This record gives sequence, structure tokens and C-alpha cells, in this order.
Amino acid sequence: MIEIRGITKKFGDFTAVDDLNLTVNTGEFFGLLGPNGAGKTTTISMISTVLLPTAGQILIDGNILDRKAAKEKRKLSVITQEYSMRQDMTMDEVMEYQGRLYFLPRRVIKERSDRLLEFTGLIDFRKRTVRHLSGGMKRKLMICRALMTEPEILLLDEPTAGMDALSRRQMWNLLRSVNSGSMTIILTTHYIEEAEALCDRVALLNRGRLQKLDSPKTLIDELGMFAVDEMRDGKLETRYFHEREKAIAFLSESHEQASLRATTLEDVFIEVAGAKINK
Amino acid sequence: MGIITVLWEKWTEFKRDFYKITVSAMISPLMYLIIFGLGIQTTSHGEPYLHFLIPGIVAMATMTGSFSAIAQNMSVQRLYEKALDQVMVSPTPLWQFITGQILGGSLRGMYAAGIILLLTRAIRTDLIFNGWSFLIMFLNGTVFSTIALVLSFLAKSYTDAPRYTSYIIMPMSFLCNTFFSTDQMPGGFRQVVSCLPLSQASGMIRAISNGESPGVFGFVILLIYLAVFTALSVLFIYRKKNL
Repeated sequence: MIEIRGITKKFGDFTAVDDLNLTVNTGEFFGLLGPNGAGKTTTISMISTVLLPTAGQILIDGNILDRKAAKEKRKLSVITQEYSMRQDMTMDEVMEYQGRLYFLPRRVIKERSDRLLEFTGLIDFRKRTVRHLSGGMKRKLMICRALMTEPEILLLDEPTAGMDALSRRQMWNLLRSVNSGSMTIILTTHYIEEAEALCDRVALLNRGRLQKLDSPKTLIDELGMFAVDEMRDGKLETRYFHEREKAIAFLSESHEQASLRATTLEDVFIEVAGAKINK
Repeated sequence: MGIITVLWEKWTEFKRDFYKITVSAMISPLMYLIIFGLGIQTTSHGEPYLHFLIPGIVAMATMTGSFSAIAQNMSVQRLYEKALDQVMVSPTPLWQFITGQILGGSLRGMYAAGIILLLTRAIRTDLIFNGWSFLIMFLNGTVFSTIALVLSFLAKSYTDAPRYTSYIIMPMSFLCNTFFSTDQMPGGFRQVVSCLPLSQASGMIRAISNGESPGVFGFVILLIYLAVFTALSVLFIYRKKNL
């Protein structure tokens, strides 16, 4: 279990994360959702100890997480938004370096490297240096590297950023399969459909503050499962309804150009934060 | 164990860039030896100037070899590749990572100095290089590796590393007992330059090469530098909030 207790992160006068309190349960697929600059990556960076909070604490299974907490860090693995790898290393070297940093025996490193590189279709390129890999291959290699240590907690910062639709779906399937083995996953994303498809619960962040926290379904249900978009004076307005009949009745009475659709997490966020997530 | 991991990483880097590392370690010292030692043939205190120059060049090679192995690499890893994040999140104790970097950097400095020693074997100088000489080279390498680590943690962009070389390494190369004795400098300035690590390393290696005792003072100075900059590196890696 991960407990985030009142963490704040300031960069000079700018507050990136403001008094954030969260608990992520073991085995949960948890999403941090928000527009650019909401504080998602900063939060992940603090959980991975790359950044230290200005105030507050992070606990893993009841123990304080800091840069000295080797036992807690052993449980963590991270896939960062950027390709955080030595560019001059080969794939094999990247994997071996990761294994060594986690004190894995060489035999285990070899076995897991073979299995993961095979699984992701990278095995034929294992002697190629990172510099000479495509963006998609680098992303896959980062996944292999993170899974190499068989972490209990996987931190994913925008793992599908820049991926095409097919690759994104493949990634979702991969993440679902690793999560089914009781791995806790914290995912940051600004793709709403990704959070809806994968996450048990999501935290909606905006300007560093927690706006809402619940399962995607509950958040949508709270707002109303049915949305009617209506063009009024050239401006899009949306009304939400808990019952389909009421939504249809509203639609039929509307004199403006209107349409009925299912409410999404994006709607929830717009209502809560007054900002569009994909901005 | 974490120290071995860092040394393994340094070894893979060394194998991959062997020719580049070797050639770049050779060029500057070789030029100095050719120009000042063989080109402008002078004597110093009745001895060929080369006898004075070679120990200084050897000490300088450990400095530049160690510093460049760490400063450039660590700045790029931290600020450009973000590869340091991989280490930060791992359970490898960060003090072991720092120790590995210091040892790895120092070994690279020793390698650079070893090349100079091999090249100068062709010139029969009767200069003595023994176990103490190598210990001083190693110690000097560790000092400059720690300085490089601290500076790379302070760097705001990866282009800062070459600037540090211009501001720190280049002046030390010329002033610190490499090409001429610090005894010839004016008072005050002489004392400051004498307390710099390269001045001490050059002086001690030169003393040994002439069959004299290196004394204790130089070791003390180098150990103080090593302790201070190691402490700063460890402090930064554990406590710096925005690494």
C-alpha cells in the first residue's frame, strides 16, 4: 500500500503539487489524471524519489520512502515519460545494468532479459544501441527494463505518449496482464480513454491539487451517465442526466442542434476543474 | 555490490569507447611533451627540462582523465539522458553509486597516466615511478572525480561540463606545478596555488621520480579534498531536492 500524506512540491514560488493526500491499495490500478502542468509527473517523480517533497511524506507498506529506503525502493519500478536510458548502451547492457542495480543474479538477469525481449519482439535487436532505436522500440525497452525486476509497484508516467492507436492497445493489454498478478500500478495519463479502460480508481488533479478521487464509473455516475451536447449561440453546452428517458426528453424539447452521448471522465473533469484535459 | 555495478558500467563504457578514450588521453600530454620537452630543449637546475616536466604531465593526466570521465558523463546522464533516474529509483545505496563513480573515474585517470608513462619510456630519463607514485596518481584521480561529481550535480545544463573544464582544469593544468615550480610564484598567490590538489600531486610524484621522499603534507591536502568533496557528493545525492 502506498500512502501519500500531505505532500507539497514547490519549485521556487511555483507550487507543482499542493498538499496531496492519497492512498493506493495493493494490487490497485490507480490513475493520476489531469491536464499538462497538473502535477502528475512531479508526483510520480516524488514516489520514485528522484524529487524530494518540500513537505509531507510518502509511505510504502507503512515505511517512510526516501532515498535511503532500499527495502521500499526494491519494490518500485518506473517507466518515465522521457526515454531515461543511457543512449550509448545496447539493449542487453540496459537490461543488465537494471538487473545489477537491483542485485539480481546474472543467471536471472539473462533469463528475464531473454523472456521480456522475446515477448516485446525486441530480441533480434538486443545488440543495437539505444541511440539507434525507434521511439516505439525505446518505449518497449523501458517496459522490459521496468518489468525485469518484477516490481510490486509499477509507476507509469504517460506510458503511451506518442504511440499509435494499435501500439497503445497492445500496451493496455500488457499492463492489464501484469496488473492481474497483483502488481500495484500508478499511471499518469492525459488520455481519458486510457484511464477509463485501465484504472480501478482515478485521482483528478488540477494545478497541483486533488479535485476528485474515485472509480471512473462512480465519478461518471455521480455526474450523470447521459450527456446532451447542445449548441447555444455558437457555444457548446452540456447537460447531464442520471436517466436516459430524461435525457431523451430534454433532447426532443431542444430547439438547438443537440446530441445524446455517454458521459466520460473528461466531462467529470471539466465539471470539476473547469478545464479540458486534453488542452 | 553497487560499487561493482558502477565499475561494470564504466568498464562497458571503456570497452566501447576504447580508441576515443585512449587517443584523447594521449593528445594533449603528448603535445606538451613534444613542444616543451623535445621542441624547446632547456634545462632546469642543471637537469633536462623533461625530467621536471614528465612527473607534472603524469599528475595532470590523472586529473584530466578522472575529471573528464565523470563530469561530462554524469552531466549528460543527469540532465540530458535522465539515466540517473534509473539509479535513484533503484535499491542500490547511493553512497555505493558515488564510491563506484569515484573509483571508476580514478581508474580512468590512472589509465591516462599509464599511457604517458608508456610513451615516455622511449626517452631514457632514469625517473623513478614506484608504488607510491601510483598511489598518489590514484588519490589525485579520486579527488578530481569527486570534484567532477559535485560540479555535475550543480550543473544546470549539460553544456556546463566543458565550462568547468575551462574554469578549473585548464588553469590548474598550467599553474599547479606542472610546467614550472610554484616556488617561482609571488607570495600569497604561491600559497594559494600550492594548496591546490594538482600542485601537491605533481610535487609528490616529482619528488619520488627524483628519488626523494614525497612527504606527508601532500597526502594530507589530497585527503582533505577527497573528504570534503566526497561528503558534498553524498550530501547532494541524498538531500538535493531537485536532482
